[in-house]
Amino acid sequence: MSLLKEPDLGTPAKAGPATVSLEVDGLPVTVPEGTSILRAAALSGVDIPKLCATDSLEPFGSCRLCLVEIDGRRGTPASCTTPVTEGMQVHTQTPRLEKLRQGVMELYISDHPLDCLTCSANGDCELQDMSGAVGLRQVRYGYEGENHLQQEKDTSNPYFDFDPSKCIACSRCVRACDEVQGTFALTIEGRGFESKVAAGAGELFMDSECVSCGACVQACPTATLEEKSVVDLGMPSRSVLTTCAYCGVGCSFKAELRGDELVRMVPYKDGGANEGHSCVKGRFAFGYATHPDRRLNPMIRETIDDEWREVDWDTAIGYVAEKMREVQARHGIGAIGGITSSRCTNEEVYVVQKMVRAAFGNNNVDTCARVCHSPTGYGLKQTFGTSAGTQDFRSVAKSDVIVVIGANPTDGHPVFASRMKRRLREGAKLIVIDPRRIDLVRTPHIEAAHHLQLAPGTNVAVVNAFAHVAVTEGLVDRSFVDERCEEFEEWASFIALPENSPEATEEITGVPAAELRAAARLYATGGNSAIYYGLGVTEHSQGSTMVMGMANLAMATGNIGREGVGVNPLRGQNNVQGSCDMGSFPHELSGYRHISDDAVRTVFEDLWGRELLAEPGLRIPNMFDAAIDGSFRALFVQGEDIAQSDPNTRHVTAALRAMDLVVVQDLFLNETAKFAHVFLPGTSFLEKDGTFTNAERRINRVRPVMAPKTGKHEWEIVCEIAQAMGYPMRYTHPREIMAEIAALTPTFAGVSFEKLDRLGSVQWPCNDKAPEGTPIMHVDGFVRGKGRFVPTPFVPTRERSTRRFPLILTTGRILTQYNVGAQTRRTANVAWHHEDVLEIHPHDAEVRGIGDGDEVTLSSRVGETSLHARLSDRMPVGVVYTTFHFPVTGANVVTTENSDWATNCPEYKVTAVQVGLKTSGTAVEHAERAIPALAD
Amino acid sequence: MKVYVPGDSAARSVGADLVAKAFDAEGATVVRNGSRGMLWLEPFVETETERGRVGYGPVTPEAVAEILDQGEDHELCQGLVEELPWLRAQTRLCFARVGVTDPLSTTDYVAHGGLAGLRAALSKDPAEVVAEVTESGLRGRGGAGFPAGIKWKTVADTPGELKFVCCNADEGDSGTFADRMLMEGDPFTLIEGMTIAAHAVGATEGYIYIRSEYPDATRVLREAIRLARNENWLGTDILGSGLDFDLFVRVGAGAYICGEETSMLESLEGKRGMVRSKPPIPAITGLFGKPTVVNNVLTLASIPAILADGAEAYKNLGVERSRGTQVFQLAGNVARGGIFESAFGITLGELVNGFGGGTRTGRPVRAVQVGGPLGAYIPVSQMDLPMDYEAFAAAGAMLGHGGIVVFDDTVDMAAMARFAMEFCAEESCGKCTPCRVGSVRGVEVIDRIVAGQDPEGNLALLNDLCELMTDGSLCAMGGLTPNPVRSALLHFPEDFS
Amino acid sequence: MSTESPQIRLANEIAAQFHHRPPDEAAAAIAAHIRQFWDPRMRADLEHQLATAPGAFDPLALAAARLLTAASNSAS
Repeated sequence: MSLLKEPDLGTPAKAGPATVSLEVDGLPVTVPEGTSILRAAALSGVDIPKLCATDSLEPFGSCRLCLVEIDGRRGTPASCTTPVTEGMQVHTQTPRLEKLRQGVMELYISDHPLDCLTCSANGDCELQDMSGAVGLRQVRYGYEGENHLQQEKDTSNPYFDFDPSKCIACSRCVRACDEVQGTFALTIEGRGFESKVAAGAGELFMDSECVSCGACVQACPTATLEEKSVVDLGMPSRSVLTTCAYCGVGCSFKAELRGDELVRMVPYKDGGANEGHSCVKGRFAFGYATHPDRRLNPMIRETIDDEWREVDWDTAIGYVAEKMREVQARHGIGAIGGITSSRCTNEEVYVVQKMVRAAFGNNNVDTCARVCHSPTGYGLKQTFGTSAGTQDFRSVAKSDVIVVIGANPTDGHPVFASRMKRRLREGAKLIVIDPRRIDLVRTPHIEAAHHLQLAPGTNVAVVNAFAHVAVTEGLVDRSFVDERCEEFEEWASFIALPENSPEATEEITGVPAAELRAAARLYATGGNSAIYYGLGVTEHSQGSTMVMGMANLAMATGNIGREGVGVNPLRGQNNVQGSCDMGSFPHELSGYRHISDDAVRTVFEDLWGRELLAEPGLRIPNMFDAAIDGSFRALFVQGEDIAQSDPNTRHVTAALRAMDLVVVQDLFLNETAKFAHVFLPGTSFLEKDGTFTNAERRINRVRPVMAPKTGKHEWEIVCEIAQAMGYPMRYTHPREIMAEIAALTPTFAGVSFEKLDRLGSVQWPCNDKAPEGTPIMHVDGFVRGKGRFVPTPFVPTRERSTRRFPLILTTGRILTQYNVGAQTRRTANVAWHHEDVLEIHPHDAEVRGIGDGDEVTLSSRVGETSLHARLSDRMPVGVVYTTFHFPVTGANVVTTENSDWATNCPEYKVTAVQVGLKTSGTAVEHAERAIPALAD
Repeated sequence: MKVYVPGDSAARSVGADLVAKAFDAEGATVVRNGSRGMLWLEPFVETETERGRVGYGPVTPEAVAEILDQGEDHELCQGLVEELPWLRAQTRLCFARVGVTDPLSTTDYVAHGGLAGLRAALSKDPAEVVAEVTESGLRGRGGAGFPAGIKWKTVADTPGELKFVCCNADEGDSGTFADRMLMEGDPFTLIEGMTIAAHAVGATEGYIYIRSEYPDATRVLREAIRLARNENWLGTDILGSGLDFDLFVRVGAGAYICGEETSMLESLEGKRGMVRSKPPIPAITGLFGKPTVVNNVLTLASIPAILADGAEAYKNLGVERSRGTQVFQLAGNVARGGIFESAFGITLGELVNGFGGGTRTGRPVRAVQVGGPLGAYIPVSQMDLPMDYEAFAAAGAMLGHGGIVVFDDTVDMAAMARFAMEFCAEESCGKCTPCRVGSVRGVEVIDRIVAGQDPEGNLALLNDLCELMTDGSLCAMGGLTPNPVRSALLHFPEDFS
Repeated sequence: MSTESPQIRLANEIAAQFHHRPPDEAAAAIAAHIRQFWDPRMRADLEHQLATAPGAFDPLALAAARLLTAASNSAS
């Protein structure tokens, strides 16, 4: 594909049934009411010159190039700000208009460097294009007048430069920051000719509020805001449409290349999830894919104390197969297993679980979603019938009340957060339920109606109190409940118990009863109410209970089954949804069907030609227990760093050490690889060919930008291991894998690469009933038929603060880093966040003699680590907070074995800890401290 | 003895405070009234006599004792104020009470006819009030001359629970001061006018946006609003009518462009004062996106009289489509500067040479700029132009806010044309290209013309630029800047060579 | 670190969620949950623990483990 230039219709689309017909230069066109003349003209095939207008932003009317003449009207109105009217006759090319446009361009160019030939935007500059379009032939003002040519360049941002000498003051960057991103970091400083774009209060971009989302760079029509990579490498020449490999938003990007070199990632306007927006990670932080730390050759070693030895693929694959068989021969069929990765494509995940079930012959397959969203799977399946968020992202634009629970979207899911913020600026009400005062609580033009700052671990008590208010104050949507749900009465009598009242739960949760009642009433009566939640819901010992609690609440108030409502998990990784859909759980085949279901199993057995075990296999934590116990001895780990990301590091590493064979398939020699015997180099998303499924069930294509640097696709490696173990698994292309998935999975029946290429993306279920997918679920009925109410008693975690460990540690993410940081730590994103810090309330710090920036030790009953303290009142007294992006932090050294009762999702969010000033600290002692201390 | 010493800032700037202090020291009862608008007589002191109020001016503190001593025999005595020809010749509707009453006396206000308009309005349906204003022919006094009734009807007809009435008191045009004098001299009239507007359109909140250079007006208005709330002229259930309306003063930050209504709305919202493109118009999408009446001080201050005396009485004044009175402001090089409220139709010459008395320097008048810094320069040959929106437009000029600035024969019109561009460059909000860049280039081109560099080519370029700014600018700032330039080129070409 | 069998801990954690239900119903629900989600070797260990350390069980978990044992005995 050559460089994909997306059409720019000038102003945003207008929706609505009413249409208006008009003629532009004699061409008839019919458009929705409210459409601008500029857009109508573009739709009729007439391009009116423009500079300040772009269809991702509201019209602004500043450049004055798009002037038109209209029969019966005086003057030359700007077509971007003038809406169409019925029967309008518009003229876009008249001698008067030509002269005016040339006049405007003459003014622009009189204050612009004449360095087009050497300019980094040469060929991708709208100012250049417009000079041509209006036929500018001279600048009679000369170039000696007052100008901005000596303005200094701001190169502080690691990814883009700001060169004000090339600025035409169109405000597209400022408007993009406001309207699209919602950060309001940019402004125009000064007035008149002195008007200039400024970050913050005239600071450097890096010192300002800028979150480096790239929207301004995207919006800039000139070389004023431009990617450093374009400056360095030159203009790209071809594009490949693909999907971001960071969070569960799943943004569509145009990977723009020059030859085989990736120059930049540009968000795709037609991307269903992001509609042209991006964040600092997806937009800029792709350098890890070519980082020198990447290992490109397979390696093996007999013991983890040996040196790694590079081998060829056949040797490595043969070694894995032989060892796996050996372990099975000695310790039984069930002694081996595999873990799939939410970072890999659906096709790559599918083949791993198939290898485990068909080639290994057991069900010991699990996925890293175990440690993040497995309670979502359980909870939504129990209540609604399937494990998936109910809405598409677009739905938030129809919400009147937005509840954010245990999620920090502006850091964790920034592109969706921007959509949410746009709706909040339009007036939707916000309820934040979080122990920490996340940015969303108060951010430009947004303020939460309620921030319920609950004690960590008390989600269920809060959601029960919400439901209690709805039930006891008569706010239940009876017709919805009667028609669509079952087991309501039992639940209602449980929830109406006094123990669930806001007054009773206040003591447990710390949330004032009156405020909770007000928030609950707002949710129940405020129109379309939507719940968005994250790992602050799931990663608790009652994570599954909480998911069911939210589902109960949404059903009771009728907030399910249409736009603007719903219960929506914000998935952490790009393909959490997909890896779960693909049958990665030990008890489920693809499409969430239990392994014990004979009918389902038979379909697989017939196609796969192997008999499958009807009993569930081991989950990840069970694998560790079984490894220590000696019954589980070999593990294939696809792209997950369990040694860093899983809780209670001491326990995990003990399990890994106990195994006979650990196979790691990854980009980097990660923490887990320290315990591995075989390292199989993986491919980055730029090399993958397949699909990712985002948090809104949207299946997006991942297209290879380059051939695998390792010489092999990950799915090929897995197939070859299976084959070497005696099970034939052959595909010539990932599309065949998807065809197999579609053949085996009713919710994917209509999915094919061809369809995805044609439609861009589809949201499952996609089958005969919904050939183009399903944006909103449970519209006419629930997947399970009737929505089921499940009583959700609040059972506190066993993890309590004690005299010895008086504080509660909770964890989260930061915008510029991603999960265990394997990628983002290998990019310039470290410029924003180069270490994890411990946020501690000034009161808790003061009593411990801790000052801002001091190095402190953080200890729990299972381990101890150290990091720097940051005094912050974002958490209440008694709660401390850290991120977990850097291995050196060892946040999981202190997290415990507690887990969700139903799914064993670890309780990362509640750990009783003590924090103390670190008094001594040589490097050796520091390292020793990272080794877990003995527990009490 | 009761003595009136204006508290108006024009009077204070020439020593009225010291004069008032001197009277006080002599035991007189001093009332700080507004200014009568005869600025060449300020401080213009009035004493109360049996025959009526007798005026003295300009009074110095040193003359105070003598005036008290000598009375009407004093050399500064101007005679009975009511009889002064300058005042007698006027038709004061807006300014009826300015200079007469104590601006902050609610009893004075009512005693001199205040509230009659509001009471009349509250007895009518909102739609009837709108109709009355439409019928009166009142046009916006801010400069554009848009019919006030039509604007109000648009706001009234736009559904919305929250609507606003905003008064544009960012009086930034050169040679204009009527808004300030009204706000300082009779603030209740403005409050009454805004309250009537609120009733008519269904607004519950009002804002008065005052330029920061008007601290006295700000102080007086804030106090007047406080007093009006006490009297229940503002607040809930105003005068028992059920109308809820409250009013707030906001002070600008020194940008001329905030006198443009959409920039003013941006500024009121706490944002940078930048012009919004229209549509949408403020009447439909105004302050905080809500339907909003934006009117000038004089427009709103004309409302009480219209409601009190009826549309018919107002409409009977004026000429053609310019009905009622306008408050003309004489300034610049003029012998008798000040406020002159008159029905439309009086000629420019009558104002400048007649009531204004020609130039202060005594030299011949060469040019008059009407309508602020963006108004055209009018040569003496056109002094018979009637003060009428359409007549001025036909002559390539504009009435604007009624400011009249007089120049004598020493004026360099090329420099004045250059100043117009320079002013635009200084005050442009910077949003649209013709205004932001064009004004700067305009200064440069005029400099080249005056320096004799390729005069023909540069004059052609200047004309093209003027055309571009007129047709292409986003708002009136850039769009009108060519007016003074072109009129100077047209009427005074000799100054450019 | 506790030396308690992980299976007892896990069973007790599940049981804790069912105390609001009548004991018979609760035991059945817990047993069903374990049957649905546990690897056979974990269930075997649970049965072993039932025989050797019944005192470590939550009463509902104990009842559930008994149900599971009974079922596996009748199946074999």
